[in-house]
Amino acid sequence: MTPILRVENLHHTYASPAGEAIHALRGIDLTVHAGEYVAILGANGSGKSTLAKHLNALLLPTEGDVWVKTWNTRDASRTLDIRATVGMVFQTPDNQIVATIVEEDVAFGPENLGIPHDEMVRRVNWSLEQVGMLSFRQRAPHLLSGGQKQRICIAGVLAMQPQVLILDEATAMLDPVGRDEVLDIARRLNREQGVTVVAITHFMREAIHADRVIILSDGRIALEGTPRELFRQVERLRSLQLDVPQMTELACRLNRRFPDFPADILSVDEMAGALAQSGRLLPPTDLEHTPASRPAVVTQQDRAAEPPLIAVRNLVHDYMRGTPLQVRAVHDVSLDVHAGEIVGLIGHTGSGKSTVVQHLNGLLRADGGSVTVLGQDLSSPGADVRAVRRQVGLVFQFPEAQLFEQYVGDDVAYGPRNLGLDREAVRARVRHAMESVGLGFEAFKDRLTFGLSGGQRRRVALAGVLALEPRVLALDEPTAGLDPQGRRQLLDLILGLHRTGITLVIISHNMEELAAICDRLYVITDGRTAMQGSPAEIFGHAQELRGMGLDAPAVAMLMDRLAEQGLIRPGPAVYTVEQAEAFLAALLGAPEA
Amino acid sequence: MQNFELLRNVTIGQYIPAGSAVHRLDPRAKILAAGMLVLAVSFNTSILANTVFLALVLAVTLVARIPVRYMLRGLLMAVPVLVFIFVMQALFLGWNEPAGAVYVQWGWVRLTRNSLHLMVISMLRIIAFIFLTSLVTMTSTTTELTHGVELLLTPLRRVGVPAHELALILTIALRFVPTLAEEVERIMKAQASRGGEFGVQRIWRPDKLAKAYLPLIVPLFLSAFRRAEELVLAMEARCYVSGAARTRYVVLRARPLDYAVAAGAFLFALWMMFYPLPAVRELLALLGIEGL
Repeated sequence: MTPILRVENLHHTYASPAGEAIHALRGIDLTVHAGEYVAILGANGSGKSTLAKHLNALLLPTEGDVWVKTWNTRDASRTLDIRATVGMVFQTPDNQIVATIVEEDVAFGPENLGIPHDEMVRRVNWSLEQVGMLSFRQRAPHLLSGGQKQRICIAGVLAMQPQVLILDEATAMLDPVGRDEVLDIARRLNREQGVTVVAITHFMREAIHADRVIILSDGRIALEGTPRELFRQVERLRSLQLDVPQMTELACRLNRRFPDFPADILSVDEMAGALAQSGRLLPPTDLEHTPASRPAVVTQQDRAAEPPLIAVRNLVHDYMRGTPLQVRAVHDVSLDVHAGEIVGLIGHTGSGKSTVVQHLNGLLRADGGSVTVLGQDLSSPGADVRAVRRQVGLVFQFPEAQLFEQYVGDDVAYGPRNLGLDREAVRARVRHAMESVGLGFEAFKDRLTFGLSGGQRRRVALAGVLALEPRVLALDEPTAGLDPQGRRQLLDLILGLHRTGITLVIISHNMEELAAICDRLYVITDGRTAMQGSPAEIFGHAQELRGMGLDAPAVAMLMDRLAEQGLIRPGPAVYTVEQAEAFLAALLGAPEA
Repeated sequence: MQNFELLRNVTIGQYIPAGSAVHRLDPRAKILAAGMLVLAVSFNTSILANTVFLALVLAVTLVARIPVRYMLRGLLMAVPVLVFIFVMQALFLGWNEPAGAVYVQWGWVRLTRNSLHLMVISMLRIIAFIFLTSLVTMTSTTTELTHGVELLLTPLRRVGVPAHELALILTIALRFVPTLAEEVERIMKAQASRGGEFGVQRIWRPDKLAKAYLPLIVPLFLSAFRRAEELVLAMEARCYVSGAARTRYVVLRARPLDYAVAAGAFLFALWMMFYPLPAVRELLALLGIEGL
């Protein structure tokens, strides 16, 4: 094998906006061979994206060297050769597309390289075919989905015929469908075209298919090995602020109870195989269904007695109404939210779930059906929308993008000031809101908003909504773009808010998160309510969810698989790792028949 | 109730895909023809020639299968401007000349034969400008137009006109119009959810207006800067070097019809610029029509 990328004792230091030196990389040694698929993992701030930018000379070393083939990245005369050899796809597809027509964007790289016209046309066709977007060549990129846009970006890189493809968190902003599309393409290019792939990500499950995994922490390589070798070190990975795939975690837990149970399991298939082979798995017994791990605050019976806080009936919504571009985003959605509940909305991008949520505080008006919030019919012209907005707080995706004040305290105060409260009342609300998101009032109120970390800014934005003291909080993808530790912290925070009596509506496509925290779920596809029920009821239909282009939690998929193979009785209410551990341990530990 | 759907109001690049012969013309021919005609109209002071020109533009509109209704809607936006110009001219134009046939004199307003003539001409001109430019944008995609502009400017590279860079700036600007429009919509909704209100401020208090829009403008600019930075990295990663020699993916090939259109527009422009020709004037005088 020939090395295609060689990194020797790489250091990178840059000045932070505040002027202090930040050591992003502190001595990295790394060799990538032609044809390898390498995953580089690490929490936010571990230096993984900085490392990636050294591999195609977007950054130059402060100390040490980086070679691409035989070229040192410091050699400016080779910069274009290096960038044509090492193609890079970035996180946000929108910010990489240059042209207003798909095929012209794909041609941008070859144009820069001075490729003759006929060859360029051939390359554009070939690249679009590789990513399955040939029929979209004349489209405008802004009308495509996130996954499709990212595929266009990959095609744009492929058209330069690179030998290495770097995916710099290229899947972080995509929904599960888009993520799978992109990863499938990367795997296929690696296998069939021999393209070397370096995939940078925070998510372990994206690294399962890599030949080699490199874990960065604090600018250094902390661990290196095959996915199988690394993933079983669950505790070590946790301490590096990373997550393990559900199946690996389950395997490790079972391994602790039954030492002969294999701990190095990566996928549902392997787990089902291992369980079948263990030979101890009994045909279904009358085991009690494991109850959800979180005790419900209010019981179902109590809830049915009082009217729901929010009732949506047969909602219809059209965008661009009254123009030739009118499209129906929501056809027929009904849902109830009762006081004290955590309700989850599941659906892939474009299913209409975000549109539905914007009706809950009157940002959008129904074009059909009705929306009743806290007893007010929002479709009637006399509805007091401002009062509803005060009661139903809406937190958008990436809410940190809405911050605008210089100081944290002022930004959180925007809502209360809009309510016309006096100084003292505003101050009290800001203090309470900041403290409930874990930002000390005195410590943070005079900090510069834009000097905070991404996770802290998201908390400030959340506090800005909480300062309105809403009864219901609706969150659109609250954990999107965070690393595993950030996700866990934010979910804990949200659950803490729920304990103070706030009713939650959570939109997410992270099924494992929803499975762990929600009382009830609604599945929305093509603008219609497709399924509703408790997590147990919904995730018992893992196959149907797959059919709708949605992920089921890996545990739910496993139960489905086991039931299919006749190893357990169908439909156990098991969808979290804890439940699966208890359920399977009981089965595995049962005496032989 | 506010209307958050900003995309509906974005009219840039209002392309109407009717697939007519006009649509299929080379964008360079359309840009050149429109440019020459605009120039010619600006020099012509004859009501007859301006009317003929307007009729011609409407005829091409019909050939292009563009509903005349759409054209008139474009005019609607210009009504305030037209009214403003008309009022200003009515107030001031008449006093420019000491003599001449005064038709109406009422206080400050004095309408003379000459001022009325100029007023009619300027209205006809503005309407013709609007129709002509809409006709070009309605029959060519923004992409075609940027390629057209780039290729037309390419010969000027030698005298230092950065043709490709200008076209790229234009393309990127157009590319980000929908993206930023969506962004504005999202930020507006987020701030509205925090009790923020837009569009209810009084315009005669610009200080309050600016303050109310700060929660919208600051995040929008920050996001635009962040996007710009990422775009620069992505372009560099794809080997973009400003000013470097590069090849072109899109190749425009002019057909005989394109040359004919450009030549026809040139001749018509010449006629407009030098009309009234002496011969035509004599002919018209014979028919008893004068002073058009």
